[in-house]
Amino acid sequence: MDKEIQQIRDDLANKLENAFSVDKIDQLYLQYFSKKHGIITQLIKDLPKLATDQKKIYGPALNTLQDEFKQKLDEKKKKLIQNSIEDPSIDLTYAEKPLNSGMLHPTTQVIREMNTFFRYYGFSIAEGPEIETAEYNFRKLNLPEDHPATDLQDTLFIKEPDILLTTHASSVEARVLTDYDPPIRVAFPGKVFRNETVNTTNGSFFHHYQGVVVDKGTTIQNLKATLTDFHKFLFGDDVVIRFRYKYYPEVSPGMGTDMICQFCGGNGCNVCKQRGWIEVLGSGMIHYNTLKMCGIDPEEYTGFAFGMGLDRLVMQKFNIPDIRKLYGGGIVYA
Amino acid sequence: MKVPYEWLKEYVKTDRSPDEVAESFTYLGLLLDKPIEKYISGSYETDILDLEHRMDRSDWLSILGCARDLAAFDSNKLLYPELQTEKPIKPAKNQIVDIQVLCPDIVNRFTTVVFRNVKVKDSPDWLKNRLEAYGIPSINNIVDITNYVMVELGQPMHAQDLTKMEAQEIVIRKAKAGESVTTLLGETVEVVPDAFVLTQNDKPTVIGGIVGGIKTGVDKSTTNIILDAGNYNQNTVRKVSRLLKIQNETVIRYDKFLHPNLTEIAIKRAARLILDLAGGDYYENIDWYPEKHAEKEMKIRYERVKKVSGMDIDTKRVEDILNKLGYEIILADEEGFYVKVPYFRTDVEVEDDIVSDVLRIGNYQNIPITSISETPPKEITPPIYKFEDELKDICVKLGLHEHITEPLVKRGESNPNQIMLENALSSEQNALRTTLYETLAPVLNIYTKHKISDIGVFEIGKFYTKETHNKSEKYNEIRVLEVVYKNSTNDPKIISQRVKTYLSTILYELGISGFVQSKSNENTEILFNKDLIGYLKYDSLTLFTEKLLKYKRQNDRVLSDFRNYKTEDLSLSIKKHRPIGPIIDKITNMDTDILGIELAETYIGDNVEKGEKGILLRVTHNSQKFDKLRDKIKTVLQEEFDIEFR
Repeated sequence: MDKEIQQIRDDLANKLENAFSVDKIDQLYLQYFSKKHGIITQLIKDLPKLATDQKKIYGPALNTLQDEFKQKLDEKKKKLIQNSIEDPSIDLTYAEKPLNSGMLHPTTQVIREMNTFFRYYGFSIAEGPEIETAEYNFRKLNLPEDHPATDLQDTLFIKEPDILLTTHASSVEARVLTDYDPPIRVAFPGKVFRNETVNTTNGSFFHHYQGVVVDKGTTIQNLKATLTDFHKFLFGDDVVIRFRYKYYPEVSPGMGTDMICQFCGGNGCNVCKQRGWIEVLGSGMIHYNTLKMCGIDPEEYTGFAFGMGLDRLVMQKFNIPDIRKLYGGGIVYA
Repeated sequence: MKVPYEWLKEYVKTDRSPDEVAESFTYLGLLLDKPIEKYISGSYETDILDLEHRMDRSDWLSILGCARDLAAFDSNKLLYPELQTEKPIKPAKNQIVDIQVLCPDIVNRFTTVVFRNVKVKDSPDWLKNRLEAYGIPSINNIVDITNYVMVELGQPMHAQDLTKMEAQEIVIRKAKAGESVTTLLGETVEVVPDAFVLTQNDKPTVIGGIVGGIKTGVDKSTTNIILDAGNYNQNTVRKVSRLLKIQNETVIRYDKFLHPNLTEIAIKRAARLILDLAGGDYYENIDWYPEKHAEKEMKIRYERVKKVSGMDIDTKRVEDILNKLGYEIILADEEGFYVKVPYFRTDVEVEDDIVSDVLRIGNYQNIPITSISETPPKEITPPIYKFEDELKDICVKLGLHEHITEPLVKRGESNPNQIMLENALSSEQNALRTTLYETLAPVLNIYTKHKISDIGVFEIGKFYTKETHNKSEKYNEIRVLEVVYKNSTNDPKIISQRVKTYLSTILYELGISGFVQSKSNENTEILFNKDLIGYLKYDSLTLFTEKLLKYKRQNDRVLSDFRNYKTEDLSLSIKKHRPIGPIIDKITNMDTDILGIELAETYIGDNVEKGEKGILLRVTHNSQKFDKLRDKIKTVLQEEFDIEFR
């Protein structure tokens, strides 16, 4: 037994001396001390089989052996780790290239911000088809055939005059008002299409952000409050806005909302076309006929709607000068 | 609408500055569109207010109409221009110029009067200056008066030289193909379908509602004139002017809804000015107006004003606004007012339009701001919307960049299912995309230009197809996630490995396990439960988001218990080009104890027969007796694939 212990001690000491990696140390630990098959563990387990006087001698000896080498393994492991950290070839003094982290499209980022605002105010988010019928894109929004306001929007037709690419997110409004019973509180970002000559600020493809509220007792005062909060959310608490009458066929009374140009403080500059104000939104109380055509009793319920083009805001926020770059792959994320 | 301030003051006396007046206009609905400019000609000087006009108010294309609202808004008085009130001379029978309308579907009214022995000369300075400040060049007193009245009242008018007319008649009829009219500017305008013309002896002298001809034009030799003011179907004028690509002062007024009552008033106004400035004798002529347009009578209830505005507006104030805007109050009771809508307010359709008038003249700025107090209604956001948003986050997590690309593309060759646009402006964008790949993949070129390599992009969007059944077409919008990847190696094998990794990771994140990548003709199909959920190409993947939403499961990636899984390696040798997917799929689904299989290694070389490759499959399993499982796998591989273990 003495010999055996000595042999183990020599072997282990030898192996320990030649172990130069943390892995190797871990292996030695398992080889000698693992609970099931460890060489020393096994000897300790076999102690009860020995005669009492033998137990008295070898018990303490094996315990010493175990303690001694567990400690030695531990120390060597710590030392190896320390050494590897202090490896002079590790240089923490310069920065590495950042990992390639993905980016959301600027428009998605802005849509999400806006969704966050409206979700907080109890709005659901809705969407609709991009291939629309004239029924939902025009008729239900109080735009009968040949209405001069259809001139405001040059429509791309798939089958004239009934099937078209949606020209405004209001078509989603028509769908929501038709499909759901009030109370309704919904915002909808949407892709829209126009048959327009493309330039830096007008594309044939762009984004709207619109919303509607319908309930008993909804008034233009609520509209003003919602838009005021929304402007503050978008442009900061010190934003100055004004409300004025503006005609849109799908609302009556209609309302335009401007904010003081943040570039010139209202004195007039190129950004605001010397107006001092920048128009952000169109809005109004949902037209009596629109509610009726969507199956909502306009004597019982009133509602408001608002809408804005998103792209100009996105372009401003991300410094993109040309809408074609925004959706034509002209932007990359560096 | 350009409003010379000096001219405006003819109808509203005010000491306010042009800036202040412009502000009033802006609030009441006529936004100051451009900065105020000064117009100076000799000793004449005026500010020009350029006001944005929306499509509804035809009376806002007249200075008087703008002045009316301004007077109401600023609690000022509106001063009307003077009309000729004395009756014209009754003509002898042979003096009457015959008016015939052969297209009564287009013409609502055609009012005419005749002046004889007028003196055509230059206009006085005040008239010249106002017109030119507005932007219409002065020609002679008669032509200038017709233009002046048009800008003042909004009714286009037209004077023709009676002696130059081939016959003492004006016959209005639909134009015939090939007809043309030479304008005062010497341009020859050929008619288009839908146009209508004013003719003598069947020869057109005017394109109705659009432009007059030089043939019967008034010049300094003219002494006898016929003056007309017509009211036409605005849609016809709009259509014709668009086809002719003519947009002038006449057209922008005629393509709005003008009331037929206006022709008579405009004629009386012009008569007054002609008699003042050109003298002569004023004769009655035919006023063709077979069907009188009814005047609208409507109710405005206090309760409705309150319902829309949330305010109790003083009844006196409501009455005052209505009066100032020209509404005639027929009856006032405890509910509100029963009013006759002024003829020039062709835009008023519903009671709320009158409510709008009350609110805007009261100034929107004065309406209180009150937050919505009701509790939010039930959530109706579609699950697919939320899901696609989550999917974007998963993609971004993988280092993919989101792009949004325009769905309009150039028509592809011979794809009968592609949706075409009927009226595209450009042949480069005359159809809708049939894959997302075709608009997303080109984005990578921009990255190459920026010298950014190793780039993966994604878009969640739609592509579009149509199906034709018995001549009726069905249009489909298919929602997909598209990922495209490229790196500097340009090695399809390396690229495809990354694309497959994206696929595995996305589906892993969605808890969709056990999907199959099955090679079909051109594409590799991605199947789950035998359902097609997407396609794979070497550089891209397409996943149908609605299918993903349907199959997505909770993914148990958060572990609190230790999993005692074991791994075993299987070494096989198979034909070099044999797809491994089916083999892995087969083994994976053989036994519930098999938790997953990973292709750990493929190799060719000394130990492998020629034309073969060695593969090492690492099986993660939960079996206590893997030997049995190994035998089972061995048998299946032999029987179904004719493959032996190495």
